[in-house]
Amino acid sequence: MATRPLSYRLAPVLLALSTLLAIWTWYVQPQHASAWAITLALLAIMMLAGLAVRRSKSGAASRRAADSVMVGIVFAGLMLASSLGLKLATTLGATSRSDLAQRMLMVILGAFFTFTGNALPKTLTPLTAKCDGTRVQTFQRFAGWTWVLTGLTFATAWLVLPVHLAQPVSLVLLLGGMLIIGMRIVRLRRTRQREA
Amino acid sequence: MNRVFKALSDPTRRRVLQLLRERPLSAGELADRFAVSKPTMSAHFSVLQDADLIEAEKRGRTILYRLKMSVLEDALLGFIQTVGWETKPDKAGGKVSAIEGEQPRPLKGNL
Repeated sequence: MATRPLSYRLAPVLLALSTLLAIWTWYVQPQHASAWAITLALLAIMMLAGLAVRRSKSGAASRRAADSVMVGIVFAGLMLASSLGLKLATTLGATSRSDLAQRMLMVILGAFFTFTGNALPKTLTPLTAKCDGTRVQTFQRFAGWTWVLTGLTFATAWLVLPVHLAQPVSLVLLLGGMLIIGMRIVRLRRTRQREA
Repeated sequence: MNRVFKALSDPTRRRVLQLLRERPLSAGELADRFAVSKPTMSAHFSVLQDADLIEAEKRGRTILYRLKMSVLEDALLGFIQTVGWETKPDKAGGKVSAIEGEQPRPLKGNL
């Protein structure tokens, strides 16, 4: 029997924690309750769908898709839990640092980019007879490394720079990473068209 | 992760991964590059597939192997190659010592 990835255990735990924190925040600050409730409900539905796919006798592609969704839910759960926790801590006067929540969210987002970039060479489409395997593989590795470095520098920027600097720097890093990968895709397509 | 470390601990398997970094290769092309028997080579491929580091695709009569390494695994391979990490040959790598220290032969243009 195939073992379930850790994300299948983490996702329900994080969503349960987020729900508890949302209820507590609702009690302290009732004005944003509906937004939190909708977000949590959507994530819970996605998680249940992912679990159902994993339990069913569906193909490997469906299970891989469910695994990716579950990883996304874990990161969303982390963001929600940290955001709600810090909001609650600020409301209760436990911390006075207003930028802490934003920093934490952005670091988690950077970690998410790193995580997805790391898995990129493993998860892209399989080769077909028409594909040039060497080029596809080179692109997969390039895109993976670029996205991992983008994520790491993005998270580092939010960890070490002041907020007013971290915002533009992280945006430039993110757009730069996307642009580099995009340019590589365009080059790959052009080469293929020229050879066809 | 244990499977990945086990797969990367063997020099032959590391060389296979190094060759696959250049381009996907068939089982025959890879086997020709090493002075080990085909069953041994097959066992190495199994270990690498078990660790999810390579993927096999059937194309007609040949099996095409391609790299399936995450960035972290790729970096780990680079690191191990740089610092050098030799362990006792395992079951699959029984004949590894025969090619210890031997560099892979250069790839022919169109195999």
